[in-house]
Amino acid sequence: MSAKIRTRMGDGELVAMSPSEIREDIAVGTRDAAGKAGIPELTDEEQERLYEIIADPSRIVSVAPGDEVIVTDDGVPGSLYCGQDDSGAGIPMSRGQATLTYERACAADTVSLGHSDYSFKPVKNVISEETNAYYNISMGTTAPFIYGAQPNLGSYYQPDGPVRNPADLLLGGDVKAAQEAQEEAAEKMRQDILFCGRKLNDVGCEGLNLDTSASGGDADFMGTLQVVSELKEEAPGMPVIVGASGEFVLGMHGEVTFNDKQLAGMYPHDQVKVAEEAGVSIYGVAIGTSTNESLAWNVARSVTFTKAAVSAANIPIHVNVGMGVGGVPMCEVPPVDALTRATKSLVELGKADGL
Amino acid sequence: MTQTTFEEAARSILSGDADAAAAIAKQGLEQGIDPLRLINEGFIPGINEVGDQFGAGRLFIPQLMLSARAMEQATEIINAAFPQQEGIAQGKIVIATVEGDVHDIGKTIVATLFKANGFEVIDLGRDVPTARIIEAAETNNVDIIGTSTLLTTTMTVQKDLEEALKEAGLRDKYKTIVGGAPVTKRWADRIGADAYANDALDGVRVAKELLKGR
Repeated sequence: MSAKIRTRMGDGELVAMSPSEIREDIAVGTRDAAGKAGIPELTDEEQERLYEIIADPSRIVSVAPGDEVIVTDDGVPGSLYCGQDDSGAGIPMSRGQATLTYERACAADTVSLGHSDYSFKPVKNVISEETNAYYNISMGTTAPFIYGAQPNLGSYYQPDGPVRNPADLLLGGDVKAAQEAQEEAAEKMRQDILFCGRKLNDVGCEGLNLDTSASGGDADFMGTLQVVSELKEEAPGMPVIVGASGEFVLGMHGEVTFNDKQLAGMYPHDQVKVAEEAGVSIYGVAIGTSTNESLAWNVARSVTFTKAAVSAANIPIHVNVGMGVGGVPMCEVPPVDALTRATKSLVELGKADGL
Repeated sequence: MTQTTFEEAARSILSGDADAAAAIAKQGLEQGIDPLRLINEGFIPGINEVGDQFGAGRLFIPQLMLSARAMEQATEIINAAFPQQEGIAQGKIVIATVEGDVHDIGKTIVATLFKANGFEVIDLGRDVPTARIIEAAETNNVDIIGTSTLLTTTMTVQKDLEEALKEAGLRDKYKTIVGGAPVTKRWADRIGADAYANDALDGVRVAKELLKGR
């Protein structure tokens, strides 16, 4: 009887699986991704290497020295000063202190600033405070300093915004009105991001992060790509990072396009191509973690999508590896054993340029 | 002839053509096809295919909604052909995204597929307090309470619902189904929910299973 291997489920629960169970989950996970996106499965050799990484008896694993990649953060300074309800440490410090602490004490590759509401719609109202904070803090930072917020198309729909809610319209059977509402909201979103992007560029923004794009579906992605094109025209020196919100673009509208390409249903290897056309500097692939499947299944799936996206891309791919994405379990504090196995696999086998 | 009608029925659902679905339902009944066979072998395979294509990202929400409406039209006509009290109504469910969570795309899809499969659905929307869910269940005399959550921070509200039902002496009156991205079968077992659903189609299957032998 072969020994059981200590591993995790997608919700972080510890489980013991046999080598054959892990190998089977890797095979099924890569097949699932390949079948959905129409991309190649991991080779037998890659699947066996992935098995070795998952089954490694060490608590944490890492890539070989020299193979490390850049890590962009997801609001780490905010995690220092915000409260426990927002998974923060609640330390009494300013945004500037938190940013510099993260950069200098934690040896960060990049640092970031974001409004606590983290969507461009509310940021627009306080943009002068945000640009001033960004400028003052940037005087002390050395690492690339990125300003981030979400396009968040949903914030433009009633009851949170002015546009009729397409979910209500769809339930009423009015598809045309639902599509028009999404187009109207996408235009408002585009204008807000453009406004904020221009103001941030004026204070020397070193990078603008449009985080969790397409969370409101294909119209959200369309508005994001449109505004990136405009910003790249107006401010070619300001890099723009676009992060995805899932492995495929949800077809809430179903018919919107960018450069004549239908966005609904796009998987990462196609997403990155339209991102490139828009002028995106770095694309953040996001692959959802299934809480019902094992770490092996989830990581195999994430690596398969990532490898195809990296292979298709001419720009750097930084894979999202936070809670519930990139094979990382969906729990408040992702276990380090699972996290490091996911990141090592994404870099070593998926060839990710960054995390 | 019967097989052709079944295929046309499935196609009408796949194309989201409510008029065609209604016409085929009437035509099938006029041909003397058993209403139960007409729904089970004609229209349900169509809506199942819609669910599969949606899950694979090959069909999008507007088409899903149109297909669901076509299914509702066909179901209504076939239901009327059953003798009184013997319709294909599957049961009544109250559904909501729990308090503190404003994500409702997934929940709306679930509600749509439940309706398409003959359930009567009371959709309370998003960010719904537990007390309101229970009140709606009582007022509408439902069979099932379904809750959705996308956040790890609001999962616990599903547990609160179980506790509130127990405290009110109502726990055995309803079947409870939990779903949402961070939710698992293990979570459902841990909090004492009757069932876990992985996605919308699974939810319909689980609900039918729960209501068997009522």
